[in-house]
Amino acid sequence: MISRRALELATAILTGSFGVAVVVSSLDNGIGWSSAGVDAGTFPFLTGIIVVLGSLYNLVRGVRPVASLANVPIAITPLELRRLAGLFVPAAIFVAAIPLLGMYLASSLYVFAVLAIPRHQSVPRALAMAAVTALALYVVFERMFQVSLPHGALAAALGY
Amino acid sequence: MDNLQELLHGFTIAVTVPHLLLMAVGVLLGILVGVLPGLGAPNGVSLLLPLTFGMQPVSAIILLSSMYWGALFGGSVTSILFNIPGEPSSVATTFDGYPMARDGRPTTALATAFGSAAFGALIGVILITFLASWVAQVALAFGPPEYFAVYFLAFASFVGMGGAAPIKTVVALAIGFAIAAIGIDTVSGSVRLTMGIDELVKGVNFVVAVMGLFGIGELLVAVEEEFHARAVSSKIDWREVFRAVGRLPRHSVALLRSAAIGCWMGITPGGPTAASFMSYGIARRFSRRGRYFGTGEVEGIISPETADHAAGTSALLPMLSLGIPGSATAAVMMGGLMIWGLNPGPMLFVDQKDFVWGLIASMYVGNIVAVALVLLTVPVFAALMRIPFVVIAPLIVIICVVGAYSVSNSYLDVVMMLGFGIVGYLFKKLFYPLAPLVLAIVIGDKAEDAFRQSMLLSKGSLGIFFANKLVTCLIVGGIALLLLPLALQLTRLLRKPAPSADETTVQATVQETAREKVII
Repeated sequence: MISRRALELATAILTGSFGVAVVVSSLDNGIGWSSAGVDAGTFPFLTGIIVVLGSLYNLVRGVRPVASLANVPIAITPLELRRLAGLFVPAAIFVAAIPLLGMYLASSLYVFAVLAIPRHQSVPRALAMAAVTALALYVVFERMFQVSLPHGALAAALGY
Repeated sequence: MDNLQELLHGFTIAVTVPHLLLMAVGVLLGILVGVLPGLGAPNGVSLLLPLTFGMQPVSAIILLSSMYWGALFGGSVTSILFNIPGEPSSVATTFDGYPMARDGRPTTALATAFGSAAFGALIGVILITFLASWVAQVALAFGPPEYFAVYFLAFASFVGMGGAAPIKTVVALAIGFAIAAIGIDTVSGSVRLTMGIDELVKGVNFVVAVMGLFGIGELLVAVEEEFHARAVSSKIDWREVFRAVGRLPRHSVALLRSAAIGCWMGITPGGPTAASFMSYGIARRFSRRGRYFGTGEVEGIISPETADHAAGTSALLPMLSLGIPGSATAAVMMGGLMIWGLNPGPMLFVDQKDFVWGLIASMYVGNIVAVALVLLTVPVFAALMRIPFVVIAPLIVIICVVGAYSVSNSYLDVVMMLGFGIVGYLFKKLFYPLAPLVLAIVIGDKAEDAFRQSMLLSKGSLGIFFANKLVTCLIVGGIALLLLPLALQLTRLLRKPAPSADETTVQATVQETAREKVII
């Protein structure tokens, strides 16, 4: 279970650290005024400062509990968390597998895995859907629109 | 009546067989992404974007804008028949649309929604027809300081009127600006904010951000709730369609009011979602039958639908004439314009007359095509909703992954897309607005350039933003909008015992309803 407060804090810290990274990195480009006009780092520097300040404000707001209808204490219930993970974890594994397996193999394995392993569909149907997915991707992108999707290290090793 | 002549010329471009076919394809694809939860108009348009590179710009924009209309209509279909808003902007339609459909009047609800939506869109297009070229003419005289002032005003109006928590809007905007700055700086040529990752030199494409924020993010929000498609009969009774549309003029006050709200929210970048909620809230307050809202009231459908479409359409006005998109989808389309080699802004009305007026004429035709197609295909798309979500979800993930990859054949983009997905989920969950973020990514560079050019002109003095009446008005207006939330909060604090001013309560109720019902 994740409380609304924890989620607010996490998000504020996330945005805040992005802001800090922007500020630090923009200092390399120089901030302020030079012979060429406003230095390249100035604008990002300012936006970074705004992000940091805004995140600090949101952080403080997030810590202070506000009792109102809009602020339900629980943001994500355990059941919801399980559903989220059920969608996101396979998706992340899929993306991680693309460089090795290539888009076609990775996507058909992904479709097969999410449909067959939790038994949403029977194995033959999941297999069929996986095959259709890869085929559709190939026809639409490689053939119709001439966009080459990654074939993966495995395909390269096998000599394709 | 120069405009009318131009418009007639536009019709000769828009009403050709290939363009009508493109409209039909666009609308159907639009309804598809509108119906599917997790895929929305911004996604759909960015998915199609790479496929339009070989097209004539006018054909490409007709395809993309038709998709936009289709998505707006498609979102209403699922709102009414399944109580599942396919688009964020049709959340308010579920309040009265679903109860009416459940009570055995799905055709009435759908026809009322489509009729008022078409009316809203019509008002939006008429506004564009008569106002856009005039605004563009005024804008032709703009220099860098005026441009920066207009950008500033646009961003400030998100903060002042967007409806989300002001500081969260500011953070979203500033993050967008920072993301826009990643890569090679167009003025000095130096590399910025790559954080040691060489591939980031090319910058972060807005399509990648849209795929993650709206695609994966929305999917994650959607998966939290289990979808049971409690199907209401999706049969269309054609006589009832005409009867329901015939009854619309009785609600002309609501229609006109909602269209006005929609146009206003579309031109100032409030966006369709905020417009539909606001319109619904105001209608509930002012309608004589306000207390019946939520049980299937006709005006409860008319108000959000009219405002939604009026806002969606008029969001293209500032995009065309100033180069500032009024909604997330308009921002994506504007990104497309830049990719096709067009320069969004007033010069379009001088250099690209065919493009502009072809687009405007296609809006009239496209909305008619959309109404006809959506009515014809309701049963088909309703059947689509019976496909279990677990099957649709991985397909949408694959579409987003391939979409992000195909932007520039980069694996890093796919990884970033997934990262944007998490950000999108967190932002949606905590009511950070996403539209300003996308808008800032698309036009961040232009705003920065305008600022730096102004500074060059004035040799570093901020006084240039107060040098003439126009630019002063714009800047002061922007500052006023920025301070508006603060002022409202102060007045509320000062008059705590008494109920606060009308507008704030409306705003508050709108927000309350927005939050009670989970925003998808």
